[in-house]
Amino acid sequence: MSDQFATDAPDEAVKLALRRIDEATARGEGSDVEGLAFNQVVVNMGPQHPSTHGVLRLVVTLDGELVKDVIPVIGYLHRCKEKLAEKRTYYQYIPIPDRTEYVAGMNCEWGYVMTVEKLAGIRPTRRSEFIRVIMAELNRIASHQVAVGTFTADLAPLGTAMVFYMFRDREYILDLLEEVSGARMMFNYFRFGGVRYDLPDGWVEKCRDLMKRLPKLIDEYESLVQTNAIFLQRCMGKGVITQQDVVDYGITGPNARASGVAHDLRRTRPYSVYPELDFAVCTENHGDVFDRYQVRMNEMRESVKIVEQALDMLPKGPIQIGSLRAPYVITPPPGECYTGQENPRGEYGTYIVSDGSRYPYRLKYRDPCFCNLQLFPKLLRGNKIADAVAISGSIDLVLGGIDR
Amino acid sequence: MSEYVPERLKAVRYPKLEHFSEPNVITTTADFIFSWARSHSVFPFTYGLACCAIEMLSSGFARFDVARYGMEVFRPTPRQCDLMIVAGTVNEKMAPVLKRLYDQMAEPKWVISMGACATSGGPFYDGYNVVNGVDKIVPVDVYIPGCPPRPEALFQGLLELQGKIQQHKFVAETPASSAAGEA
Amino acid sequence: MALEIGTNPMDMDAIAAHLVAAFTDLQDVRVQEPDTVVARCDKGRLHELAQGLKDDAEVGYETLNFIAGVDRVKHLESVYHVYSWKTNTYLELHVEVPRGKAELATVTDVWPAADWHERESWDMVGIRYLGHPDLRRILLKDDFIGHPLRKDYVDLIENHPHV
Repeated sequence: MSDQFATDAPDEAVKLALRRIDEATARGEGSDVEGLAFNQVVVNMGPQHPSTHGVLRLVVTLDGELVKDVIPVIGYLHRCKEKLAEKRTYYQYIPIPDRTEYVAGMNCEWGYVMTVEKLAGIRPTRRSEFIRVIMAELNRIASHQVAVGTFTADLAPLGTAMVFYMFRDREYILDLLEEVSGARMMFNYFRFGGVRYDLPDGWVEKCRDLMKRLPKLIDEYESLVQTNAIFLQRCMGKGVITQQDVVDYGITGPNARASGVAHDLRRTRPYSVYPELDFAVCTENHGDVFDRYQVRMNEMRESVKIVEQALDMLPKGPIQIGSLRAPYVITPPPGECYTGQENPRGEYGTYIVSDGSRYPYRLKYRDPCFCNLQLFPKLLRGNKIADAVAISGSIDLVLGGIDR
Repeated sequence: MSEYVPERLKAVRYPKLEHFSEPNVITTTADFIFSWARSHSVFPFTYGLACCAIEMLSSGFARFDVARYGMEVFRPTPRQCDLMIVAGTVNEKMAPVLKRLYDQMAEPKWVISMGACATSGGPFYDGYNVVNGVDKIVPVDVYIPGCPPRPEALFQGLLELQGKIQQHKFVAETPASSAAGEA
Repeated sequence: MALEIGTNPMDMDAIAAHLVAAFTDLQDVRVQEPDTVVARCDKGRLHELAQGLKDDAEVGYETLNFIAGVDRVKHLESVYHVYSWKTNTYLELHVEVPRGKAELATVTDVWPAADWHERESWDMVGIRYLGHPDLRRILLKDDFIGHPLRKDYVDLIENHPHV
């Protein structure tokens, strides 16, 4: 079988990188590093790499230790989800968006279910709306724990204690989610018009108990790295995303909020019962790596507040419209619809085209990490390769969403 | 409380601590002692591709501690590993990479196919880009079903693999001279 | 200067009326509650329209959300979903291209985010964007034959060397 990595037949991305080096040589460029001859090399990071958070391949053009150019190559996890939507009914497809951004499964399911409900004109029950908010916010905390944990694990290869503490506490949240839905990661919990299972007895007390403990645990994580001079030096001032970048590239989520743009879909384009809940939109000003880390830590605290409020306001009532068995076959009327939802990584949306049959005609994901990754070449240019690792960890990529 | 010995290990007689209290001689076969040592000190390869990788990570951290089986040394380079845990979907673009990394591992090497996608394509089996099972590319020793398999399921797979490694023989069974003599 | 959201909140019908008045290229403008205006435009006029929509003083659609390629059997369609910070609303722009000659002008000089979205649309549906700086496959391997999200796509054995 063809080995696309054999050096005598480089693939398209490497050819592009080599072409750019030839053009730079033809232009007579010198090295940026003092006293060195012009010698740019093309180095391949990935697709199997401990720091790329999944199967992302970066074709990096290096001048000494400075990164001159980065060509991200994706598609190593392309699982044909958009084509599969055309072969599965709307109901059969529900487990698949879970596997898009697999660390934040509840949020992704909600993005899909919300669009279909809007197309078909189904309004979910009030109790299920609150349960959805609780699940989504719990998953947001768990997702940020993975994001920040693996980010600090990249700075020193698994050498920081922070990732161990964060994964330990993530297990408490996954315990709660497992009690409700039956699975630790791929929940398959949302249905059109409600959710699949009601909260078991005693779950609300356990959840409240965990929410009381979480703020102290979050303070514990921060105390591990916040005063470490090496951490601060590696994070401050690096990888700045400007507000013009946010507008140009459609950056959303904590990456945009760290640059001072208060764009949080739960506030700007509210959905579900978020208008009734009181929480702050966390922003920072500089847009560097440290601010993105800070925004995620603050968002964890805000999510704790949201969960506590939702638990207090949880009404009694049915968790699904109609009878207990969900509508297995729904045929939304012909039309198109897009809804965006605030994923832990940004605006996650599904655009569904329906032709009136049981199968979606076309399903397109608007994935936040795909849009955020476009900014990579601009962000990494001019930084050292070690900073490139820190910056790519702070953008919080999940390849399942990028490649779909 | 009597000691629990799994069925397949009943034929094995491990040296016990009391045997070492005085100067002693332990007789064993080279196969046994090397395979026993190998099985309790496997270096896995971090080949997490997709969602199963997060469960593999969870199994390495505090609650489901994989270090108690001696396998916490996840090395990112294949040249230092014996075990490749393929966790996630393999697609046509990734397949040559997988083969190349498998070839870079040194013998003896084992492969665990973790999750439904690596075993047979999983929920994406009819995708145009999905390879239905990693055993179409590399030989697999243990299959772990699940989507994603719980860390405990991963541990059961690792224990099965330990049993398989302990049966690994690297000393030839028939001496070459007698075979030549009989022929 | 912080980027503000919703500095010019307008009613959806007012936005639709403003777009109809300001841009003659926009056809079939209608409002889809609660926050989207849906419109169509001819493929020849896409680039000027895109530049005009972005620069509009009242409803500047400055951010591109996504570009979706859709195969409508009789023709192919490229759907541009853009966001306006001033009014906090979306616009969904449909552009049709014939199957036989699926070419469209690129909008990467108007919205830089279009770069990868157009590459994905080319990869999946086969709409060629003229003027794109680097139009090559993004999600599939370089020697993949065909465009999978077309309705007449047939799974070829050449695309499956590992079967």
